[in-house]
Amino acid sequence: MIRLIGVSKIYRRGEVAVPALRDLHLDIAAGEFVAVTGKSGCGKSTLLHLIGALEPPTAGQVWVEGRELGALSDQELTLFRRDRVGVVFQSFNLLPLLTLEENAALPRVLQGAPYEAARQEARRWLTEVGLEHRLSHKPHQVSGGEMQRAAVARALINGPAVLLADEPTGNLDSAASAQVLEIFARLNRDWGQTVVLVSHAPEAAAYASRLVRLHDGRVAA
Amino acid sequence: MIPWFFRLSLRHLQVHPGRTLLGILGIALGTAVYLSISLAAASALKSFSAGVSAVAGAAQWRVRSPGAPLPESLFQEVRRHPQVRAAAPVVESVVDLAGPAGGSLLLLGIDPFLEIPFRAYQFQEGEGLDQEALVSFLTEPRRILVSRPLAARLGLKKGDPLPVLVGARRETLTVAGTFSLPGGLYPLEGAVALMDLAHAQELLGRVGQLDYLDLLGTGPQTGDSLARDLPPGMEVVRPGALGRQMEGLVASYRLNLSVLSAIALFVGMFLIYQSVTLSVVRRRREIGLLRTLGMLPRQVLLLFLAEGVVSGIVGGALGLLLGVGLARAALGVMTQTLTSLYTPVEARELVIQAPLLLQAWLLAVAATLAAAWLPALEAARTRVRAVWHREDLEERLESKAGLIALAGLAALGLAGALSLIRIQGGPPLPGFAASFLILLAAALCTPWCARTLGRGAAPLLRRLLGPAGDLGCRYLAGSLSRSAVSVAALAAALGMLIAVAVMIGSFRQTVENWVHRSISGDIFFGPAVFSTAAYDHFLPPEILPRLRQDPEVADIYLYRCVRLPFRDRYVLVIGGSFEVLAKYGGLWFRQGQTDEIMARVGRAGEAPPAAPDGAQGVAVISEPLAETFGYREGDVLELPTPSGVKRLAIAGVFYDYRTDGPSVWMDIRQFRRFWQDEHLNAVRLYLKDKSRLAAFQTRLQETFGRQYRLLTLSHQQLKDGILEIFDQTFALTYALEGVAIVVALFGIITTFLVLILDRERELALLQALGASRRQILGMVLVESGLASLLSFLLGAVSGALLSLLLIFIINKQAFGWTIVFYWTPAIYLQTLALVLVLGLAAGAYPAWRALQPHLAAILKEE
Ligand SMILES: Nc1ncnc2c1ncn2[C@@H]1O[C@H](COP(=O)(O)OP(=O)(O)OP(=O)(O)O)[C@@H](O)[C@H]1O
Ligand SMILES: [Mg+2]
Repeated sequence: MIRLIGVSKIYRRGEVAVPALRDLHLDIAAGEFVAVTGKSGCGKSTLLHLIGALEPPTAGQVWVEGRELGALSDQELTLFRRDRVGVVFQSFNLLPLLTLEENAALPRVLQGAPYEAARQEARRWLTEVGLEHRLSHKPHQVSGGEMQRAAVARALINGPAVLLADEPTGNLDSAASAQVLEIFARLNRDWGQTVVLVSHAPEAAAYASRLVRLHDGRVAA
Repeated sequence: MIPWFFRLSLRHLQVHPGRTLLGILGIALGTAVYLSISLAAASALKSFSAGVSAVAGAAQWRVRSPGAPLPESLFQEVRRHPQVRAAAPVVESVVDLAGPAGGSLLLLGIDPFLEIPFRAYQFQEGEGLDQEALVSFLTEPRRILVSRPLAARLGLKKGDPLPVLVGARRETLTVAGTFSLPGGLYPLEGAVALMDLAHAQELLGRVGQLDYLDLLGTGPQTGDSLARDLPPGMEVVRPGALGRQMEGLVASYRLNLSVLSAIALFVGMFLIYQSVTLSVVRRRREIGLLRTLGMLPRQVLLLFLAEGVVSGIVGGALGLLLGVGLARAALGVMTQTLTSLYTPVEARELVIQAPLLLQAWLLAVAATLAAAWLPALEAARTRVRAVWHREDLEERLESKAGLIALAGLAALGLAGALSLIRIQGGPPLPGFAASFLILLAAALCTPWCARTLGRGAAPLLRRLLGPAGDLGCRYLAGSLSRSAVSVAALAAALGMLIAVAVMIGSFRQTVENWVHRSISGDIFFGPAVFSTAAYDHFLPPEILPRLRQDPEVADIYLYRCVRLPFRDRYVLVIGGSFEVLAKYGGLWFRQGQTDEIMARVGRAGEAPPAAPDGAQGVAVISEPLAETFGYREGDVLELPTPSGVKRLAIAGVFYDYRTDGPSVWMDIRQFRRFWQDEHLNAVRLYLKDKSRLAAFQTRLQETFGRQYRLLTLSHQQLKDGILEIFDQTFALTYALEGVAIVVALFGIITTFLVLILDRERELALLQALGASRRQILGMVLVESGLASLLSFLLGAVSGALLSLLLIFIINKQAFGWTIVFYWTPAIYLQTLALVLVLGLAAGAYPAWRALQPHLAAILKEE
């Protein structure tokens, strides 16, 4: 379902070119739970950004669900991000102004779903991640683990083809981490949700069905 | 320890120079405007009083008869007085230079030998006077000595002709030489010429008359003792008193401008408040950390206060530079206004007075200190452990918004109470305080209004614009700590703009109505129709009989005007033909029957009234006079005249909008009994056939124009001229308003920039979640549009209140004018359009910036 063909990403900082990914090939099938690991700076986040269409590759092709992202227009990329991808960040990235429920409902609202219906769905997903008692709290009023679970609910509400998570447990203690990872595993197991998880925590890899090790911008053998 | 921490402040400044600079610029502009007004006013006054004292020289006393000449015979009498050591007679007049450059020339008629103890005119120095020149100066008519600066400016040499206008007559004077004054101080920036006394009397048509006598006495009691021995109508004053009277004259003019310029500073304060708040909000983590590491709350307070004050110090200093530049421009406008309102004033050089600079600068620092206080306190209260969230501040503000708004209402109530206070003379300080309270009230109500508007508009805009509308509203309601401040600043500036525009518009309309209703006449004819400062410009006496014989003229109204010192002000005393005036509609009285009042004044002209209350005459007074000195209809006014103090019954109070002072108006026959002269300053002509107006006007110019310079104005031209003077008077006001608006616009542009830049990350996140560019742009525009709308609404409300205050309280108290309120919807629409366009543009730019595709970079973990 996800296929990266000869993908490179080179960041330019003035004169200096920093290669983050070099000629990378990777296939991820639907229903896989892939854990990406590797040393810091080896290009894990970059890989996720390319799959999520947050950045274009410098060279090569990224295919998701049979579409080559480089061929999509700006508008189509926006729709792709909105409808087909769910992202979870290390630092939660909830909108501080909105309650957890509204945060989770946001992608549906952006899709144009009726407001009440979107909130209904958000409540369901928040219940799913165990936050039914925190619906009308603002992000700064809840714990980090709870914020991250709300972010997961938000990532899922659109029924994305792939759930991308970049060190989702980086800011959490082991209990909260376990809760979040457990949710990923359950989604993958019960609903066949495709998950790409970046983490360098060894215990995270234990939840995954497949391990991809990056080294210097390439998949290590 | 603290100095070390300022490095942090410096770092932040380096990273975000823009917003700090804008705050500084706001304060700089405010300071500059304030300073320029006070510098320009001080320079104009200083130049005026330097001129006064240069001419006064060593004179200790001056004998004069306000509004009338002294008989020459008085000179011998005074000189023989036992308490007088020396005396010098002077005639003086301001004549116009007829050359291409124009301008005024102070002509002093003196006796050079009697002058010696008084003034150090230097005739002999350099290519000054030789024996021959002195002889020609003394013996030949129309010979003048011009001051060195004037000779240099006009390139005059001995023997050159100098064409001038003396009153209405064209004359040519001849330069006999130059003179200089010690210290290089001259009245009117050197536009002075000396003439032999006798020749000057002849030239000015004042043979046997003097304007004043300067005296040296034997002791401090000379003045009093002399005053007792002088005939009625004459007074002995200190020469310096003149400068002080002038100061009083311009005081209220200056006060109004100062208050307006203080408003620019007030708006600048909002910007500082905002920039410090932003700095606190952005650095909350840093503060939390510093507190954790052991920084004391008061050290945090100090840190942020110092940051604010440093902007004040820098902005203030910048403002000083800018202010000196602006003052040069303001000085030109101001001297022009003073000249057209009061008396010729000439001030080319800006006098830079250190105390004024210091005052403006301290004001700037104090303003920033006050503005930085609240946010710094907020920073100091930051809790140690829980890293402070911006959202905490937001929530606190949101929950207190109602309370703050109540405080705003209280301020409004206080403003209402203040505006009810009636003052006895002096500047209308309660009114000014009330106007600041109104602006403050609007500012205090802003958070509550923003919250209410944001929440209230959300459902509607959600339906209209989808999630963009909804989020835009939420952001408005949810970022009060930042947006409310700039909304308040903009509202204050708009309020002032609207108020001043409505006030000026109403005033102008009122003046137009007044000209229409109470100034009759088809043609205004004379040497000084507008320039009321030229009281000694007379209509040549040979003209009147010729006008009387003219078959086209139906009626002639005679006009004579003098200016008198009255208590601590000047008043104009006007003699006019009341029976003519009555025939054509009369004056516009605030009370009583016009015909009756006009008839009563006219009767008093025919013969002195045999009034039981001992009144020696009847007059009507202008509303400003009644208001300033507390007279009412039926009171008795004691007016100093050349034939002694006269008790005048006040028959009525008429509306009057001339800007040169309160006036007393009486029948010209009564005036002539008191003043014992037959001069006229101008006449109004009423034509039999009004359709021949233009032809008649041309004929008048042809008949008299060659010999005299006389203005011939139609009613329409007079009205236009009056309105032109009116506009000129308010030119500086308009300019000040403009600056306040510019300052506020800086405010709104920075806020939106900062507000959006601050949320760059959030906007990127929204895009990562799939928000389209249109949605993001829509959201930002909804927010900035609503904020602009709110500024407008608050500005419109406070502006309406302020305009009422300005029209009915402040103006009435300061000048005594009743202004009829005219509502001008156009100004509201114009302001709304201006604000919406600018607000949307200010929001669109940062939104567009945020849309640039750096999603991943922006989203990168901190
Ligand atoms: N915007 C950027 N500009 C320049 N270089 C970048 C940029 N983003 C990433 N890089 C570089 O690209 C390389 C890969 O970065 P990436 O963020 O993908 O690493 P990572 O594997 O996620 O590391 P970590 O485990 O520390 O998060 C690094 O060398 C990094 O310095
Ligand atoms: Mg990373």
